[in-house]
Amino acid sequence: MEPNAAGGMGRRDFVKAAVAAGGAAALSACLAREEDPDLPTGPEDLSTLPDAQHAWNGALPTDDHGNDVAPRHHLLLYFDYAGDGTPDDADRETVEAALQSLERAYARSQETDDGREVGLVFTVGYSPAYFDRFEASLSESVDLPEPAAMAPFEDPEFEKPDVAVHLASDYGSAVLGAEEALRGEKSELNGVEVTGLDGVLERVDRRTGFVGDGLPAEHDDVRGVPEGEVDEDSPLYMGFKSGFSKNQASERRVTIREGPFGGGTTQHVSMLRLHLDQWYEQDDRSHRVATMFCPVHAEEDLVEGVGENLGDSSLLEERGCPAHTEDHAREYGKVGHSQKSARAREDGDPIILRRDFDSTDDDLTTLHFVSLQRAIEDFRATREAMNGTDVSGGAVGQRTNNGILQYMTVKRRANFLLPPRRHRSLPPAVPE
Amino acid sequence: MNRRAFLRAGTAVATAATVAGCLDGLLGEGESREPPLVEDRPDAVYVPTHVDGMEMAGMASAGPYKLALSYSFPHRFWRIDGSDAEKVSVEDDDTVHLMGTLWDVDTKIVPPAGNLSMTVRKDGEVVDDRRMWPMLSQTMGFHFGDNVSLDGDGTYEIEVSVDPLGARTTGAFQGRFEEAVSTTVEVEYSERVLNETQVQMLDDRQGERDAVPPMEMDMPVSQLPAKANLEGELVGEGTSGDGVFLATVPSSTPRGVDGDGQYLAVSARTPYNRYPLARMALSGTVRRNSETVFDGALAASLDPDLDYHYGAAIDGLQSGDEVTLSVGAPPQVFRHEGYETAFLEFEDVHFTVP
Repeated sequence: MEPNAAGGMGRRDFVKAAVAAGGAAALSACLAREEDPDLPTGPEDLSTLPDAQHAWNGALPTDDHGNDVAPRHHLLLYFDYAGDGTPDDADRETVEAALQSLERAYARSQETDDGREVGLVFTVGYSPAYFDRFEASLSESVDLPEPAAMAPFEDPEFEKPDVAVHLASDYGSAVLGAEEALRGEKSELNGVEVTGLDGVLERVDRRTGFVGDGLPAEHDDVRGVPEGEVDEDSPLYMGFKSGFSKNQASERRVTIREGPFGGGTTQHVSMLRLHLDQWYEQDDRSHRVATMFCPVHAEEDLVEGVGENLGDSSLLEERGCPAHTEDHAREYGKVGHSQKSARAREDGDPIILRRDFDSTDDDLTTLHFVSLQRAIEDFRATREAMNGTDVSGGAVGQRTNNGILQYMTVKRRANFLLPPRRHRSLPPAVPE
Repeated sequence: MNRRAFLRAGTAVATAATVAGCLDGLLGEGESREPPLVEDRPDAVYVPTHVDGMEMAGMASAGPYKLALSYSFPHRFWRIDGSDAEKVSVEDDDTVHLMGTLWDVDTKIVPPAGNLSMTVRKDGEVVDDRRMWPMLSQTMGFHFGDNVSLDGDGTYEIEVSVDPLGARTTGAFQGRFEEAVSTTVEVEYSERVLNETQVQMLDDRQGERDAVPPMEMDMPVSQLPAKANLEGELVGEGTSGDGVFLATVPSSTPRGVDGDGQYLAVSARTPYNRYPLARMALSGTVRRNSETVFDGALAASLDPDLDYHYGAAIDGLQSGDEVTLSVGAPPQVFRHEGYETAFLEFEDVHFTVP
């Protein structure tokens, strides 16, 4: 971070610190510092917005290879419904008014001289625990189980807040401002009148984070990653790009096709702690490439730097990696994370859409893994493929040499339904 | 010699070495304060330059296991990357080589499988948090360990978490070791105690094709049964990659093995100390009258009678069958000095069932 006149902290660091700290004071400081974002406001006619809450891609910039680029700043807010029994129409109107005021306050994205930037995008999700309060059950067209362990070797805490709000922007001030607005701490956001949740929802937790070129390297002063080791171009702590468009499910693939929540999707949220001291200080690059992508990628030196050269695909199918996972386990004694996970594809296409981000929450190197899929079962299948239990036991251990499992611990898991926009405010289990 | 004397001696040697024009001295270039490696190491097990003393730090019970925590001076080790051994040097801020050894309370078997992680806390603050590497040392046998950086003298709480075993369990071990377990051990650490651990220099023997025997400890060590004590009938043996392969057929196929037929169990071990050659990809073929009757993997397995072994059921295994054992990826167990040049390249092992 470069010292500057404003007090020895780079702007990005400052904004990130502010996002982590939260609060009105942080926000005003943030707004004063963030180079006057001058963000456009949202549309008056909200009917122009997509019905799928998760349809962010249309608002995201793309890189030179056509990959969607995730917004840089993220906030994940957990809430419980504060009332007794089931929400009533007044509660729904309060929540919907608050959400609509956010949509009016910030445009989803805008074109700038530096390309497209994300103003504010968000989703609102509801957990199985939320729907438990209704007499009726969720439609069978929605696969939303309680969170569960996804591997024999993990023991996560299962989180059951009623509601999860995921806010994202290229501007820290926008996600913070949106949070403050939801909490009723501001009446005006970006010059637009806003209303809050007004006690209908009670915030029970917040997670912060970032994803994007250079951000992890700037935030390596936490336990779990050695300082100065993360590539300055890397969007994620582990040093490689992800989100190649061919490794991501399309929004269409993850959308629920029918039933009352048709047009929505499901969201899995887990919190992973990363242990990257060994990854950077003991393993070498060849091992990192082999276990992140595939042993063939290491042997043939297919990955340059953070993987920008890979374009829009991590060349897994092209090199026969997924189909040879078992052979590689026996021959190389190791298998790649992407190689294993790609076995869960459907007709060659991925079935989950990652919207994850890194974090320094609790001063620990953290990944908030957010994924969208038509059914939670799709996540389970992908995670099972990633576990590699079928190829472990010998040279490939349960974690050692088994993708990147050695370097991560899943601490929490939660599942949510992201209803279509028309049902996003405290929906009953069977909306009309 | 204790550590202080060792370091003084080291300094003297380093000076002499520098004078002699050799810059690979003891204290230079971020290298640990360890003697230079043996020159011309054999591609086999050899006697290392020295043996570090070890301090027991605490014991605890966790599920079916007993756990012992111990530490020594940080030292170089070799990680295994495919078929290569890559040296991991001591970092400037490494304080100790921290080790965890697990054994089954009933059988005293030390399973060389699974994972063990440690979260080290001092005054409630996390000081270190990592998964320990599976490792093999001549004095300690199989253990989990890594060089870690502590925060000075004091009382540490070390939370040890053990994942389910992750290797096949057979016989009376079926269903055992399937739960994740964890326990917290309070450890007193002081640099003074560490400095007083004994270092044994092996100047006269270093580089010889031999191994230092297991250290005498208040805990079991991962030794496999001697050949004479193996369960079942010995049907073949061979040496490859400096490892010893002993093939037996127990009188009955243990529970938990898929398939019918005779159970071929291969006990692969280090020479001299009989430590398991764990975590490798072993496969076998059986030919009978020029026809291949078996071609497949031998699964890494843990059994109370057969101990750690690789095995498969082979239909109708009989006298005259020609067996070939092939190692794919070599044992993916990180190596302490004296093991890093062995067990990397293997020729096939052939034998005929008597």
